[in-house]
Amino acid sequence: MHLDPFELHRPTTVEEAVGLAHDLAGRTDFVAGGTDLLPNYKMHLNVRPHLIALEDIPELRGRSLARIGAMERLADIESDAALARVYPGLADAVGEVATPLVRSSGTVGGNLLVETRCFFFNQSLFWRSSLGYCLKADGDKCHVVPQKERCYATFSGDVAPVLLVLDAEVEVAGPSGRRRIPLAALYDATGDGIRRLTLAPGELLVAVHLPEGARGRRARYKKLRVRPSYDFPELGVAVAGRWDAGRVASMHLAVGGVETYPRRFDELTAPLEGCALSDTAVRGLAEAVMRKLRPVHNTFLLPDYRRRMVEVYVRRAIAEAREGAAE
Amino acid sequence: MASAPPPPYRLLGGRIPYVDGPLKVTGRAEYTDDIQRPGMLVGRVLRSPWPHARLRSIDVREARAVPGVHAVLTGERYPTPFGVLPITHDETAIAVDKARYIGDIIAAVAARDERTAEEALARVRCEIDSLPEHADPRMGVSGVSEPIQKRSLPGTNIQKEVVQHFGDVDEAFRAARYTARVRGTFAGVTHAFTEPLVTIAEATPDGRLTVWSATQVPHYLHRALSEVLGIPLHRIRVIKPEVGGGFGGKSDPLPHEIACAALAIETGRPVKILFDREDVFYTNHGRHPTQNDVRVAADAEGNLLAYDIEALIDGGAWSSFGTVTTYYNGVLAMGPYRIPNFRYRGRRVYTNKPPSGAMRAHGGTNIRHSVEVALDELAEAMGRDPFDLRAQNALAPGSTTVNEFRITSTSFLDCLNAVRSASGWREKFRALPYGRGVGLGCGFYISGSNSPIHFTPKMPQSTVHLKVDMDGGIAVHSMQADIGQGSNTLLAAIVAEVLGVDLERVHVQRVDSDVSPVDLGSYSSRVTFMMGNAARAAAEELKGKLLAAAAAIRERPVSDISVGHERFEVAGAPDLAVPFLDALHKAMETTGALTASGSYQTQPRGGSFKGAKAGTAPAYSFAAYVAEVEVDVETGVYRVETIWAGFDCGRPLNRLAVEGQIEGSIHMGLGQVMGESMSYRGTRLLNPSLLEYKIPMPQQMPRIEIHLVGADDPDGPFGAKEAGEGPLIATLPAVGNALYDAIGVRFTELPITPDRVLRGIDRRRSEGRAWKGQ
Repeated sequence: MHLDPFELHRPTTVEEAVGLAHDLAGRTDFVAGGTDLLPNYKMHLNVRPHLIALEDIPELRGRSLARIGAMERLADIESDAALARVYPGLADAVGEVATPLVRSSGTVGGNLLVETRCFFFNQSLFWRSSLGYCLKADGDKCHVVPQKERCYATFSGDVAPVLLVLDAEVEVAGPSGRRRIPLAALYDATGDGIRRLTLAPGELLVAVHLPEGARGRRARYKKLRVRPSYDFPELGVAVAGRWDAGRVASMHLAVGGVETYPRRFDELTAPLEGCALSDTAVRGLAEAVMRKLRPVHNTFLLPDYRRRMVEVYVRRAIAEAREGAAE
Repeated sequence: MASAPPPPYRLLGGRIPYVDGPLKVTGRAEYTDDIQRPGMLVGRVLRSPWPHARLRSIDVREARAVPGVHAVLTGERYPTPFGVLPITHDETAIAVDKARYIGDIIAAVAARDERTAEEALARVRCEIDSLPEHADPRMGVSGVSEPIQKRSLPGTNIQKEVVQHFGDVDEAFRAARYTARVRGTFAGVTHAFTEPLVTIAEATPDGRLTVWSATQVPHYLHRALSEVLGIPLHRIRVIKPEVGGGFGGKSDPLPHEIACAALAIETGRPVKILFDREDVFYTNHGRHPTQNDVRVAADAEGNLLAYDIEALIDGGAWSSFGTVTTYYNGVLAMGPYRIPNFRYRGRRVYTNKPPSGAMRAHGGTNIRHSVEVALDELAEAMGRDPFDLRAQNALAPGSTTVNEFRITSTSFLDCLNAVRSASGWREKFRALPYGRGVGLGCGFYISGSNSPIHFTPKMPQSTVHLKVDMDGGIAVHSMQADIGQGSNTLLAAIVAEVLGVDLERVHVQRVDSDVSPVDLGSYSSRVTFMMGNAARAAAEELKGKLLAAAAAIRERPVSDISVGHERFEVAGAPDLAVPFLDALHKAMETTGALTASGSYQTQPRGGSFKGAKAGTAPAYSFAAYVAEVEVDVETGVYRVETIWAGFDCGRPLNRLAVEGQIEGSIHMGLGQVMGESMSYRGTRLLNPSLLEYKIPMPQQMPRIEIHLVGADDPDGPFGAKEAGEGPLIATLPAVGNALYDAIGVRFTELPITPDRVLRGIDRRRSEGRAWKGQ
């Protein structure tokens, strides 16, 4: 497999990058660590002739408790003691991404925007040609759920669920200026595996902002995968909570690796606030989350199993978050 | 680290670091892809996107017209079929008439660079007729209107059927007090060697063809090139650079190797074909997807009476080693126990999938899992400890099996004893808490196939040449193929041991058919045994010349001279010892450089019935493993915590290498148990990548405790037997039986993935059958 030639642009400011993206609309991608994009390009998946490298833009760097630049390397976040102390769940999740080698190139922004995945999409040009391609690249049918309307490719980032339960916001720059939105609003809950983000053409992720309120929360991330490294999540559950004298002061829960976007379940966790969380209540919550999710058969593990694991992983994530809070 | 061996040897039996280690760990070792030839072109292949299709026409005119393209070949240029077994030639370098699986090679191109080559391939126009595709071997046993290959049994896709019956199995089952039955299902697994397949070929104006290739068996490649290309063997030179792992996947001559040579002939330029990982998955030749049905019978005292075995083996599109596979799936059940009555029916069926072939512990792995699980069931039915049942039925040294395998040395009982005591079996078996368990699995394997594959049985299986000139360095030539297992190191160590010299004097030369004498290469765990004996014979010949020279220098009878360390000792006169170089230079006075040659030929073995040679070997290795597992009963995820490996490889000649082989074998065996699977939707391979083909990660490796308990084998070099394949086999049933001890569920379908574990737990609970109180 080889990369088709592309023209590489190396802007040094966000504005310059956004301007390039605007001028090259439809013919370019941003490239951060390249650990997701370049393998996909080798497989000739939605290849563009121009790449805008974000490497040389100082504004996309920097780590503090309040702000993490989109181009910060996962390995640097993982080994940042101050971040790990305040946001242990974030360190968990970052450390679960792929392998140390990938984390040394991969960035937090890249992981938030990682391309959705599917057995029938993440394949070589030859492989896909032998099947007649799919909705998400070069074709007009879905091989997972045969129809022509919707793509079921799965959101496969590990960092988003944790940042969701920490109420993170993201800063976005685009041709029409800057905006700051809740992370949840970055993902298109009404879209599918193709239309998965709410970013407008040419928009760029600048940084992740963590609110003051996130600092007291003890988050945990539990990842289901076949092997303890390398593999993308087949399910990722993040929970953050605060407990007050045994009662839930606040709780947030998010699930990735199952649907086309990472999803928060405020409607299920909000009613628990003020309650003493019995095992029955936890089980009820876990089952309710499970009932809302419908994995499809587009990853290694079978959908029934992944769905069943939603219940187990939610329970376990809550138990660990609670333990963490008690420490 | 290096360590000294137990007496009587100076090197052999110790821990000998690999002679090629420093070059490999510094990146200086030369693999095929490291080789650059002047003017070299890039070769690429076009693969069939159809599972089964008649090729009506392939138009390459547009492809040839692409600037920078030097040649485009299709199958009719070299249509001669080949295959590793002379009796089943059904492969071609490039598909002729039909494409038989998604990934089958239908054209090859040589171009100035990769992009040009791919552009040319994109312009090849094929007209085809789609043919019915066959994904399931069960559908191929009858009523097939369009067989995949011409040579299958009429009206079927059956490539090979084996029926054997020794004793009276029906009568044995009638007389039996206990029986057990296991129906096993095994997904296909593949070698996943580190170095992808790669070949360079160069045809030169002197009429010769040189081929460098990542191969385990340079000699079979040499033969196939000659047959298909129509060039006499002596005008072809095959070179094997360093090879990054094979595990059986580089033991067949492969189509791309021949296609590469064809492109070199066509263009007059050197051509390199380097495969990517997906190409390697399509080339496959890995372990066959298999279904088997194993019945075992025992009398009231626990004596095994009979095995009754059926196997249905998914061969993929070609024969490869399949005829051997079909025999092995039966006959490799014949140890390590006495089985007086035995019946087997095995069928290997062509399907439109990447060809299956030989993979580490070829033919002995899947059947062994089913047999050992059945024996575990049998022991439970009897209320016997699984160790006792196996020990009671162990083959004795010097025995012959009912199908006439000759068992010389066996330390199987010592394997059992070692791991029974080391693992704390008596305290753990059926006594650990729910979710935790121990299991026993055993095995045996051939130490080299007794029969060579080619049709010249009178030729030795291995020959080693030595040359030593006045510099005192000893050059060793042999076509044995070091593929990372350490055979170069062993070859050097045997020569150094016999001659009493330091290892650094011995230089094992790169395999090159122009100068290396024939050895049949690295398959069937034959190298240590056969090359080892040949090397010893060659070194003994050289030793004789040097002893005579030392005797002449001191004017003493040869019987007074013996080998010392870098010198020759004179009996009763330590001061008169002759330095190695002095003896050498004396010996060279009349002949110049000294040469010596040694060879090894197997003795005739086996009965006279059809298929009697299958599974015969000059010796067998034996294994008994205990695994301890912990199951998360909510998720079905389990961890193999420890494996105690009792192994009989005779005398281990290089403990470092033997331990490495056992650890690597356990890793590979665990892969097949825990998650590796060639996953198909119909005929389509879903996971041709190392991301989705789930080789276990280092974190999943258990603690491994190795017990090497073998006694010297009478025919093995310095008492040694194989340690390259046998160590894999016992891993699978040890884990399977440990899972049973943990949660009371029998797993007969591999891989045992977490969802299967969970379903097993559910099933047992829904049946109301508690296990360990749960």
